[in-house]
Amino acid sequence: MSAISFYVATIIVYGAVDSMACLALNVQFGFAGLSNFGFIIFQAGGAYAAAVLSMGPWQKSNGGFQQYVLGWHLAWPLPWIGAALFGGLLALPFVFLVGKRLRGDFAAVGLLVSAVLLNQLVNNFVPLFNGAAGVSIVPAPFSHYWNPQGLGYQFAYGGVAVVLCVGVYFLLRRVTESPWGRSLRAMRDNDIVADALGKNVRVQRTSVLILGGMIAGLSGAILVGFINLWAPGAWGYAETIVLFAAIIVGGAGNHKGAVLGALLVPLGFEEITRFIPPLSNPALVPALEWVAIGLLIIGFLWFRPDGILPERRRILSGSAKSPPDSSSTESDSLINLGNLEHMDFRQLLRLEGDASDHSIILSTDRLTRAFHGVSVVSDVSIEIQRGRLTGLIGPNGAGKSTTLAMLAGTLAPTSGKVLYEGRDITSMPSNVRAKAGMIRTFQLASEFKKLTVLENLVSAIPRQSGDSFVGALRGRRFWGRDDAQNIERASEMLEGFGLSQYADSYAGGLSGGQRRLVEIMRALLAQPTILLLDEPMAGVHPNLAHKIGDQLTRLVASGMTIVMVEHELAIMDAFCDPVIVLAEGRVLAEGTMAELRAKKEVVEAYLVG
Amino acid sequence: MTVFLSSLGFGLISAAVLAIATVGFTMQFAVTNVLNLAYGSVMINSAFVTYFLNYHAHLNAWVAMIGGVFTGAAASYLLNRFVFTPFQRRNLPPITIVIVALGVDLCGTFGLQAIIGGSYFTYRQSQGRESHFWGMYLSTLQLIIIGICLVVMGLIHWLLKYTRLGKAMRATSANPSLARNSGVRTQRVISSTWLISGALCGLAGTVFAMNTGVFYATSAQLYIVLLLAAMFLGGPGSVYGAMLGAITIGVATELSAGYFNPQYKEVIAFVVLLGMLTFRPFGLFGSEKTI
Amino acid sequence: MRFSKMTGRGGLVNHSKKRLVLVASALALVASVVTLPIAAGTSGATSFKGSITIATVAPFTGADAALGPKYETACYAATQAINAAGGVLSKQVKCKTVDTRGDPADAVPAVRQMYATTSNLVLVIGCTSDEAATVVPIFGAHKTVSFCMTGQSEFDAVHYPYFFRLVPPDAADSVAMVQIAKRHSYKNIALAFGNDAGSQTFVAPAEAAIAKAGMKVVSNETLDMSASTFQSEAESIVQSHPDAILMEALGAAGVALLSEIYQLNGNKMIPTIGTSAMIDPVFFSGVTSGPIGTQNFISAFDADNQTVNASGPAYPLYRKLVLEQAGKVPGVPSFPGLLSANGTVHLYDGINLAALAMDMAKSTSGSKYKADILKIAEGVKGAVNVSSYAVGLKDLKAGKKIHYIGVGGTYQFDSFQTAFGPFEDDQFLANGTTVAVGGSLGYCSLTECKSTP
Repeated sequence: MSAISFYVATIIVYGAVDSMACLALNVQFGFAGLSNFGFIIFQAGGAYAAAVLSMGPWQKSNGGFQQYVLGWHLAWPLPWIGAALFGGLLALPFVFLVGKRLRGDFAAVGLLVSAVLLNQLVNNFVPLFNGAAGVSIVPAPFSHYWNPQGLGYQFAYGGVAVVLCVGVYFLLRRVTESPWGRSLRAMRDNDIVADALGKNVRVQRTSVLILGGMIAGLSGAILVGFINLWAPGAWGYAETIVLFAAIIVGGAGNHKGAVLGALLVPLGFEEITRFIPPLSNPALVPALEWVAIGLLIIGFLWFRPDGILPERRRILSGSAKSPPDSSSTESDSLINLGNLEHMDFRQLLRLEGDASDHSIILSTDRLTRAFHGVSVVSDVSIEIQRGRLTGLIGPNGAGKSTTLAMLAGTLAPTSGKVLYEGRDITSMPSNVRAKAGMIRTFQLASEFKKLTVLENLVSAIPRQSGDSFVGALRGRRFWGRDDAQNIERASEMLEGFGLSQYADSYAGGLSGGQRRLVEIMRALLAQPTILLLDEPMAGVHPNLAHKIGDQLTRLVASGMTIVMVEHELAIMDAFCDPVIVLAEGRVLAEGTMAELRAKKEVVEAYLVG
Repeated sequence: MTVFLSSLGFGLISAAVLAIATVGFTMQFAVTNVLNLAYGSVMINSAFVTYFLNYHAHLNAWVAMIGGVFTGAAASYLLNRFVFTPFQRRNLPPITIVIVALGVDLCGTFGLQAIIGGSYFTYRQSQGRESHFWGMYLSTLQLIIIGICLVVMGLIHWLLKYTRLGKAMRATSANPSLARNSGVRTQRVISSTWLISGALCGLAGTVFAMNTGVFYATSAQLYIVLLLAAMFLGGPGSVYGAMLGAITIGVATELSAGYFNPQYKEVIAFVVLLGMLTFRPFGLFGSEKTI
Repeated sequence: MRFSKMTGRGGLVNHSKKRLVLVASALALVASVVTLPIAAGTSGATSFKGSITIATVAPFTGADAALGPKYETACYAATQAINAAGGVLSKQVKCKTVDTRGDPADAVPAVRQMYATTSNLVLVIGCTSDEAATVVPIFGAHKTVSFCMTGQSEFDAVHYPYFFRLVPPDAADSVAMVQIAKRHSYKNIALAFGNDAGSQTFVAPAEAAIAKAGMKVVSNETLDMSASTFQSEAESIVQSHPDAILMEALGAAGVALLSEIYQLNGNKMIPTIGTSAMIDPVFFSGVTSGPIGTQNFISAFDADNQTVNASGPAYPLYRKLVLEQAGKVPGVPSFPGLLSANGTVHLYDGINLAALAMDMAKSTSGSKYKADILKIAEGVKGAVNVSSYAVGLKDLKAGKKIHYIGVGGTYQFDSFQTAFGPFEDDQFLANGTTVAVGGSLGYCSLTECKSTP
């Protein structure tokens, strides 16, 4: 019977280690959208760190059979703490891969390749961690006082591993169910938009890499303390793929799903295959295991991409009703923005300053943007007045959206300057501009699909106390009240726009017009000083478009500055006061609509272009 | 100097195999915008088809090669038709397709291993006389492979520059919606591209196995690293960039093996790849808009 | 755009219940498959009462997949004879395999599972350099005697009471290889060793022995076993104009390197001296089916080996038994090729030693019989020499003391329970078997070879 107990103890330790690893990877992949194909590096680094910290120095003199660095012979728990720190440290060199400029799949491939490279390097460079043979006779914690091969020790070890795993679960849950966790999920759903709303994508991803790295390192330490040996054969790059399969099966974006996946795939699946009696070809079962993992990945991603335990919906409104998650386009015409008439925009949006001040707030100086040597925007110099609704119009391909993007900072100019209140902000990244009050919207659908409408709105509110890694760690007691107030504000806004019943609906399921409104509300909640709207009426029912336009005018009258790129002349007519016409990347004319209609070159551009 | 020249020779054969493979890989990316991480498994499966046709069906090796090329083309076409396209229609983020490709790679490589076993296979025939010219050492087989590579590169160049299909391929890769609106039958173009690039993949796998002489089911698993390095060096989606990238990586790795330490010869490919991803993910000659 | 999978359609209650059922059934499935065999007792082999089990713990898959089948063959061969003579303490002996996959993190649960599902485990054989360091302590904790094949020097320096090794440490193997080179009066030596765990331990002792013998190392290449070509390494070796190459590189890498050296050397093989592990039917078949061809290879390849007493009394029975396993053990291309493979030879002897020890101690418990292994191998005063299990059992029953002399000759254990005899120089024959040439190399220690122990 006791032999079974040993096996059970082993399963407990491996289960805890795998669960910890999956929890950490899930935060990176399922919550933050960071596909860390090199995850195994961090677990391996932690294992090596724990091993060499707990071992004494290697002795060349008596024919020491292994070489490794350090060898400080530290007592538990120092090696495990060191392992976690080293795992976090290992994340730092990868900062360059996780900025917003690099496509997610490219970054993932870079991480995968790094895992392969590091495994090869450690395997070949013997003085570091003893090459292919690895470091062996790694002392188990307290092995001087308690026989590590005894059953009691093994169960105690398993107990400690489980306790740490549970601790990690609660820690990660605290992190992801905070405003910062909301920002991570927003970044996952659409990193460009999150950036445009002020989130620092690179910092968020780096933090998540470090956090995940630390936990992975700890899991490696637990494993190495149990099996007392660590070699490159134990951490091939393919181990990460198994963990990904686990998360996909269990449920990305759900902590319990991560644990379930860990128990089913790297633990359950591996252990089951040991019970299969040896077949004619001994290579058959392990090979089929890998085929099964591949099929699991493809199968789940096709049939049930959310996994067995999908991500939970976060109900912010406090309502117990089941929210509607879809609506038809007809309802667009029924949307009544009437409530907005009663709202004081200055108070709601915290607008300051003199509403009648029309000085120049934003200007450009010979802004140019070229792709492949072809100029899309050339020498555009414009001035935007405070408190006005400036229109930016022109035929297709005139460079309107490109100019807007350069104003917002989501696209860098090839040459030229962007000036805000006279200061050169050309090199200021878009998220910093957003924090300074320049908020833009996008032409194509850009809501955070897997966040509810309320979450979409609240995520935009700046200066949230819980919207940082440290803030998240401090827990609900720290950011709870602030968050409740923000939810209140967002609910008010939602009420004003007449969409309260969709508060807890997933933004991705709403109709086109509703999503457009969500976007506008979100932009407003970001406390803009300048709103840069990219074709906000595109694809919107004309009734609704008109109502939106009315409200924009009211906004401007309250002191907001708006620059609106638009294609439809009718809308420009109705709402925009100064209008700038672009054609073929250059400024063609400026003035009021009436003035422009009289100009021959403007009329021609629209007929021709 | 002798080390330089002999390493250069090894680099050339390495580059020849890599060039055939990378051009196929980058074509698939250009026209479908997906990093086909299952490429290695198609390569090795094609290699084994050639081997078994040669060894068991007693076909001449070059005739058997046609079988390998055909396998690569068919497998790649089916992969796109039944895996990538359906997934792409669901409008998922690109990373999901990459994970799916990884899953396919596992199925393809280890499915093969389940059938043929875990041990290695050797080509019986000799590689021919070793030619020694200009300080380089290349066997007859290797010279033939280099020749095949040059011919194939020429054919691809002709295809892209002078045929309608080639022009359509370039248009589709540059701007799919514009191409479609201009009358290009994008679906046809995509299918043709996968057939052609798949044929390249099959050919690459076959000559890879012939060149090494000893191979097994997982021989090509790490080849993807060299492929990615070569592709990103020249610019993802650029066929000429792929050719240039392959020559550079092939020669650089062998030079580093000759001068420095053969154990670390692939490190240079890694460094190039990570460097390109960090600083210029659109390649040496591309620009930001291309991706 | 609707994402029907992500929307909470169908009410909160139904959805969570469906999920719960899914989760529960998934876990139940896993739990049942895992616990059922444990509940049933043993797995795989027939479990009729009165049988005992010998487990082969080794890689059967992965990079070192060739090793496991060699050891398994030894088990089948030895136990066939043992069972024919009536078994151990009247119990039949069964063989079981445990695949460690060459990965230490996989080896631990594999071994734990083995203990959980195997009643009457009396002996473990195998344990290679890939996993020995992590599984040997587990065997010791369970008081299971193990006969291991690892040459790692850690086992020359740490005491494990239940660990027995009938193969020399890699250092001694290296010295024997250099001795072969000395015999041929080679002066310039190239070294080519794989970077894997088992091969790197040869390099330093080889270099020391070469220096001591007045020879010179003209090239030292470490081979990345995962690489597919070795052109630079081969060229570098060829350009250094060695008289001979000392090598250990198992698997595809070794075959590829030799083929490329052959190619770059103008289709001529440079004399090559391999370690005992390279006497392996998979390696032989790989090299000879490539461009080098059988004749060229066998005329230029030597390997050092533990002396196989081919003319001794134990050999005929051993030979018969091994060849009779043809077709019963998957993964072995040629059974004649195993006859001098050190894994097969020494584990066969090891099993015989352990079985006779169990009979002598009248117990299958490791703690009771391990001392008798040493006694039987040493041969106390007045002991009769026996060379097979059947004869040894008969003598034990007649009350005599026995001294086992096996296929590998006499075994003298040192304080770390490692025993190895004199070395010989083996060459391959065209059919894959080997013959010893040129007389014994002598007794090789960690530094030199001497004619007496």
